[in-house]
Amino acid sequence: MAGVLTETVEPSDLKKFEKIYHEQLYKNDVTPKAQFEYAWCLVRSKYPADIQKGIILLEDLYKTHEEGQRDYLYYLAIGTARLKEYTKALNYVRSFLLIEPGNQQVISLQQTIKKKMEKEGLVGMAMAGGVVLAVGAIVGVGMAIASKVKS
Amino acid sequence: MDEEVLTTLKILIIGESGVGKSSILVRFTEDNFDPDQTLTIGVDFKTKKLTVDDNTVKLAIWDTAGQERFRTLTPSYYRDAQGAILVYDVTNYSTFAKLETWLNELETYSTKANIVKMIVGNKIDKENREVNREEAMKFARRHQTLYIEASAKTRDGVQCAFEELVHKIIQTPGLWESFALNGNFQVDNKDHPSDSSSCYCSLT
Repeated sequence: MAGVLTETVEPSDLKKFEKIYHEQLYKNDVTPKAQFEYAWCLVRSKYPADIQKGIILLEDLYKTHEEGQRDYLYYLAIGTARLKEYTKALNYVRSFLLIEPGNQQVISLQQTIKKKMEKEGLVGMAMAGGVVLAVGAIVGVGMAIASKVKS
Repeated sequence: MDEEVLTTLKILIIGESGVGKSSILVRFTEDNFDPDQTLTIGVDFKTKKLTVDDNTVKLAIWDTAGQERFRTLTPSYYRDAQGAILVYDVTNYSTFAKLETWLNELETYSTKANIVKMIVGNKIDKENREVNREEAMKFARRHQTLYIEASAKTRDGVQCAFEELVHKIIQTPGLWESFALNGNFQVDNKDHPSDSSSCYCSLT
């Protein structure tokens, strides 16, 4: 069942807001509203390339339109999480919570992302990665000692 | 607790900014209240299981932002919803007056013609009331919606609002049961006359 990370935009909506955005782009007069609405559709697309595009539009808005920054941060977190770039997503969430620590909507997004990471075994992989590094380090130290003994 | 789930119902919460949509949802799903509830960004989503008339259903609830800047996109979340909760603030008449617009919006964008609507007058714990109960009930009757008064702060009416809504959805033929035809569920209301309720709210 759909949640904020899995529900997808209706293709007709995406088309509609894409058209508005491109018309404004053509006149070289894109409003933050049109850009945001198009980006909001893009990050909810089932195609990663769309999501990527949405993220670029949101990053641009974040830099240029201060008024809506909290909205942009939130959807940047959603977009990156949908691309499974969880570390990035959690960073956006963290920046948001620095400004609004008690925001339940964002806290619950954070939990959803963490749960997803767990489900997809990424936490396990990270731990396994840590073990490999540790083993590597031990071998490295062993080799260093061995080379010292030799010399 | 792990009773078999009859179906999943999609519920929407709509209404003006600041009337307490998210507060009602948080009270219902987590039994919490935050006096400094922040403004919702776009739409938020929560699920909860609810048992009504011996049927357990899972509610997938979409809580929409009331702020103007999200208005163009929130209607895309109306699709396939079986129930809608329209919230207004009893201490702010303009939020009540706007219900007409919200009903029109539902009419335009919801895909299920027989979607069940419930109007919730929130913040009854406050003293400076601007909308009286009779007027609101009349409005609800005229628009054939359910009506209840509630306070997310004190819990009053919140659970009841969702129960009544689900009760009515389950009773509405063709609204939800398309994929549960062979299930062992009860929809007869022999022991539950449709107008009775354990809560004080009224069904119109």
